[in-house]
Amino acid sequence: MTTSPKIKAAAITAYTTLNACGLGKQALSQALKTNQSPLAPLKLFELAFNAYVGEIKQPLPDIPDNLKAYQSRNAQVALAALNYEEDGVRHVVETAKQRYGAERIGVIIGTSTSGLYETESAYGYLLKHDETMPENFNFVKRHAYQATGRFLQLELGLTGACFAISTACSSGAKAIAAGQRLIDNNVCDAVLVGGVDTLCRLTLRGFNSLDLISPEPCKPMDANRSGISIGEAAGLLVLEKQSDDNQHCPQLLAVGESSDAHHMSHPHPEGLGAKLAMESALNLAGLEASSIDYLNLHATATKINDAVEAKAVYSVFADKLPCSGTKGITGHTLGAAGALETIITLLALEQQFIPATTGLQTLDPDCQCQVLTKPLLNQPLKITMSNSFGFGGNNASVIVAKKS
Amino acid sequence: MRKIYIKSSAICCPNAEVLTQFELDGSDVDKTLIPAVMRRRTSLTSKMAITAATHACEKANVNPEKLPSVFASLGGEIQVTDALCRLLPDKDELLSPTQFHNSVHNTTAGYWGILNHCQKPATAIAAVDDGFAMGLLESWSQLQQTSGDLLLVCYDELWPQYLAAPIGKIAFACALVLSTEVDNALAIISVPEIKPVEKSLNKDWCDLVNSAPATAAVPLLQALKQQESGLIPLNINAAIWHTYLQN
Repeated sequence: MTTSPKIKAAAITAYTTLNACGLGKQALSQALKTNQSPLAPLKLFELAFNAYVGEIKQPLPDIPDNLKAYQSRNAQVALAALNYEEDGVRHVVETAKQRYGAERIGVIIGTSTSGLYETESAYGYLLKHDETMPENFNFVKRHAYQATGRFLQLELGLTGACFAISTACSSGAKAIAAGQRLIDNNVCDAVLVGGVDTLCRLTLRGFNSLDLISPEPCKPMDANRSGISIGEAAGLLVLEKQSDDNQHCPQLLAVGESSDAHHMSHPHPEGLGAKLAMESALNLAGLEASSIDYLNLHATATKINDAVEAKAVYSVFADKLPCSGTKGITGHTLGAAGALETIITLLALEQQFIPATTGLQTLDPDCQCQVLTKPLLNQPLKITMSNSFGFGGNNASVIVAKKS
Repeated sequence: MRKIYIKSSAICCPNAEVLTQFELDGSDVDKTLIPAVMRRRTSLTSKMAITAATHACEKANVNPEKLPSVFASLGGEIQVTDALCRLLPDKDELLSPTQFHNSVHNTTAGYWGILNHCQKPATAIAAVDDGFAMGLLESWSQLQQTSGDLLLVCYDELWPQYLAAPIGKIAFACALVLSTEVDNALAIISVPEIKPVEKSLNKDWCDLVNSAPATAAVPLLQALKQQESGLIPLNINAAIWHTYLQN
């Protein structure tokens, strides 16, 4: 039964991304529709093993002089996305600032490692220089979880609530949830939300220690899947309270959240936490499962995560719902994934297509849900869901809808 | 808007002088609260946060299994991250898989959920100097949607001093049980907002916050203990976040 929503929908008045496919919505939707993967061997730093990654190859903008202390790859990736005129995120935030006031606009950014990449290099210096960090080292402004969010807040001249959410791979989705609540509760009129995460040694070598890095481009939901391909990305979205001016914009309906309460790095064997997150999202949005037209899976391409997610999805949607996992295109962008994949579902709604599960050749016979191997164009999509599940058993499912 | 009440508070601070100086009650880490297998794996930061959270739930007489939670910390698992970072300059060095998954910011939130079989949403936030203010705001905001109780934990442990001295010279964790229900409430709080400073901030407290970000909660904890009502500062920045506390 469809019931009344438990939270007010927020308008998504602008969104954009920088990821391995390039800058902006167009580059990503082009890669998704043509099923062309940019995953390639890592170039950014040296590793003792092989890894395909979704690496951002284009030059990144300089951090402005007045905010130089915030210099990090993470902040640069965020700035490139913010400044991409075609998608207009900066323009929309600046318009909202004039309309509502700087103090009524929040900034909530998800990340798993923030500016850790720069800190890693600083440790190389520390170990050679008698436990002294290099002169330009600034942990709080470069590496602390909130550094990139604070940089965006200062760059935009905003003064409302500002914090980071760092719940591993669900961070970006939970930032979207927190932003929607602040608008629903009338603390903010608009919130810049999203996720930003960049490649670093700790993540690659950490996942390798768990035997989870694929030596080839990842193959989500494949019978012969061999692990994750890590990626990097910024995914930024502007949420605003609904008004006559933004009726034409897509809407954030709800985000469901849950915990596995099972293990730090293994999902609940029956996918109970994942199921709870999807059901909670449907409940908050006042929707039944049959209202969802497409599900973007978390589908990291590890043996256990994909198997468990497939069980959970089947338990909610049976085999009725077209699903795909898109980490074969973007790589697993960790703390940005929840925001990036919400953006993928928004592109699917806007351009009426369903992405493929890039890399998938032979569907795992144990996976009973409807997983697509090829992109489908001209699909009449109205409402979509995106799943994100992280370490610590931290789960979130985001539901967005086409303009009303 | 729903009214939000505070049902209990608890502090875990291994440095007892801080509690004496600020006339607060608290305890050292209680390792017996954590099963042996998990105790070996958890850092000081998680043990402190879990101690404060457990005591807050006991005082409020609430079942932790039923509570959504908000964990706020500047550095989170900073010691675990530091130990891993020291291995990274040698590209052949192998990392411990347990240490790796224990380096994420939501490690404490994850262990708390496992320990208490809690499948409610748990979040882990960070906001440098505004950590407590933003933690309280996020908690207030969640309770507007979900009636019932919620656990807020704000914590930071000892840091290697080459990272951001004096941050991390003192370890401190505190926990509040917040609720939409008035039964057994200690106080009611307003939504955290930025307000002009009415009187100058206590210098000793500002010094403390500079070396232990989670102690931004101290004025609120003192007001709860002394049953004082008034506008309470939640950070020491130029833009001062406040909440109004009514006992």
